[in-house]
Amino acid sequence: MIKGYLGIDIGSISTKGVVIDNKNNILASEYLWTEGDPMGAVKRLLKVLEKQLKGKDVKIVSVGTTGSARKLIGVMTNASVVKNEITAHAIGTTTLHPDVNTIFEIGGQDSKIIIIENGFVVDYAMNTLCAAGTGSFLSSQAHRLGVPVEEFGKIALTSQHPTNIAARCTVFAESDLVHKAQIGHKKEDIIAGLCKAVVTNYINNIGKGKKIKAPIVFQGGVSKNVGVKKAFEDAVGCEVLVDPNGHLMGAFGVAVLARKSGIEKSFSFDVADMEFKTTGFECPKCANHCEIICVFKDNELIDSWGNKCDNGAVKINRRNNG
Amino acid sequence: MKIGIPRALLYYKNEKLWTTFFDELGVEYIISPETNKEIVNAGANLAIDETCLPTKILLGHIDWLKDKCDMVFLPRVATAHGYGMCTKFLAQTDLVSNTFREHKLKLVFYNIDKRGTKAEYKAFKKMGKFLGFKRSQIKFAFFTAKQAQLYYEMFRTQNQERILQESKKNKVLVLAHAYNIADAFIGEPIVRALKQLDCEPIIAEYCDAKTCIKASTEISKTLPWAYNKHLVGAVSLLKDKVDGIVILTTFPCGPDSMVNEMIMHKVKNVPILVLTMDAQDATAGIETRLESYVDIINFKKERENE
Repeated sequence: MIKGYLGIDIGSISTKGVVIDNKNNILASEYLWTEGDPMGAVKRLLKVLEKQLKGKDVKIVSVGTTGSARKLIGVMTNASVVKNEITAHAIGTTTLHPDVNTIFEIGGQDSKIIIIENGFVVDYAMNTLCAAGTGSFLSSQAHRLGVPVEEFGKIALTSQHPTNIAARCTVFAESDLVHKAQIGHKKEDIIAGLCKAVVTNYINNIGKGKKIKAPIVFQGGVSKNVGVKKAFEDAVGCEVLVDPNGHLMGAFGVAVLARKSGIEKSFSFDVADMEFKTTGFECPKCANHCEIICVFKDNELIDSWGNKCDNGAVKINRRNNG
Repeated sequence: MKIGIPRALLYYKNEKLWTTFFDELGVEYIISPETNKEIVNAGANLAIDETCLPTKILLGHIDWLKDKCDMVFLPRVATAHGYGMCTKFLAQTDLVSNTFREHKLKLVFYNIDKRGTKAEYKAFKKMGKFLGFKRSQIKFAFFTAKQAQLYYEMFRTQNQERILQESKKNKVLVLAHAYNIADAFIGEPIVRALKQLDCEPIIAEYCDAKTCIKASTEISKTLPWAYNKHLVGAVSLLKDKVDGIVILTTFPCGPDSMVNEMIMHKVKNVPILVLTMDAQDATAGIETRLESYVDIINFKKERENE
């Protein structure tokens, strides 16, 4: 029997799962859409992973979760490690590329830059208020141009003269894009211009004041877009690496963390068949009106959070679930 | 007669001074409760968009007080420690009186517009006379109150120095104005989150003001604002004694927007995190940022130990 470590990264747009062994080899992996239902997505994810592991005699001994729904899924899967996505990505990338100095990451709704020195994270930055220049921006523009977002990169590479598009704000970018199309710019030029705009926006906002040093790894969903990759290379003047498993890096990183934690907790793929439910309510006990989330497993309350003070604490019957 | 004291802005700088002064004179007062979401929302509805979050919160507190007292206490202060202040402290009295003009809100206040140690006493004397007290009564109440505030701050400073020496945890210097760090809506969740992450928050505001202002020249000689000088001074005093610095700013703060950049340019070798808060309460983003920031501190320590 091989010991397996499961890492799950539940983002706003996509859910990623990776199973590794104790030498960090990937035994199974899957990437699917969250579709606004993190628990449902994880159930589907677990089913696929279980199928991939069939006949390999792997036993999952530890689970790690990351991404925006890490807490919820951590409770659901009885995780040993619940880690923020910045650390998870950094750990994942430095495990595969120990010499990396800069990580660019553009996901569905957020973008970040992580600065690494000698294998340790020393600085990071994340987009703050808006999602301009992230995956969701690109896919909404692709929709507007009537091009599938998956082909965006390929089309961008055919352009000779990328159009200049203002990308500071999604709303302005959209009106600029419409204007450029109306005055006769070619579609591939506009698409290449969009890729360039994403990069300009990223370098000016997220990368502002940061020391960008090669080797650079580019990951997150948008890294699959070769147009954006090329625009990055033009902007920083050196090669930008895209790992074939770049989209799984968060899940991989948290699996590594789960392995390193040494905490082994029972886990079974049967979780996928159990019924999990969440309810949210507004706490009426004081003027803060905290939104409290309760998680139920087979109609039994297993965890709750969201309260700012003890008034809103929901009592959990610990006797029944050890 | 009952005076209403808003728990906002200058309250956090003068808590003991004000309450002791009114206690000594036997003036009845009511202090608005700790900031909560209702107060923030009420304030945001009353304010124009451009005002900063702490000003919105002030308006929320006044809104809470307006029917519960006869007069609202809100001083107009232009200088502190001989240096200038953010314009909101000069403007707040007039801003509130204008915002609540249809409500015919009565205000009681003192004005400090001159530099020097006597200005504050003179200002209190004038306000005391307005409230109908004799000079001797006011003098006694003021100096007792001044003592109380002094001892309160001294105790706070000493307590923190002890923690700084004894604590074995990761020490994180939290840079935030008095009215932000102590506010239940802005600063408290950050301090609590840092403690949960097993860090020891060191509050810049709790360092001695005069020592800090003197030390601030190491980072900038020309910084004009008294409260920012205090915070910057805390950085130059403590930057080698702490493991990290968290700068907590409210949106949109004019002085901070410049001072934060300056600190980041001039202070190296200490991980710095800037957190900007606005009226939305997005604790998830804050948690992710603080968590990964504390990871960076731990990674740095690990590397230094290797």
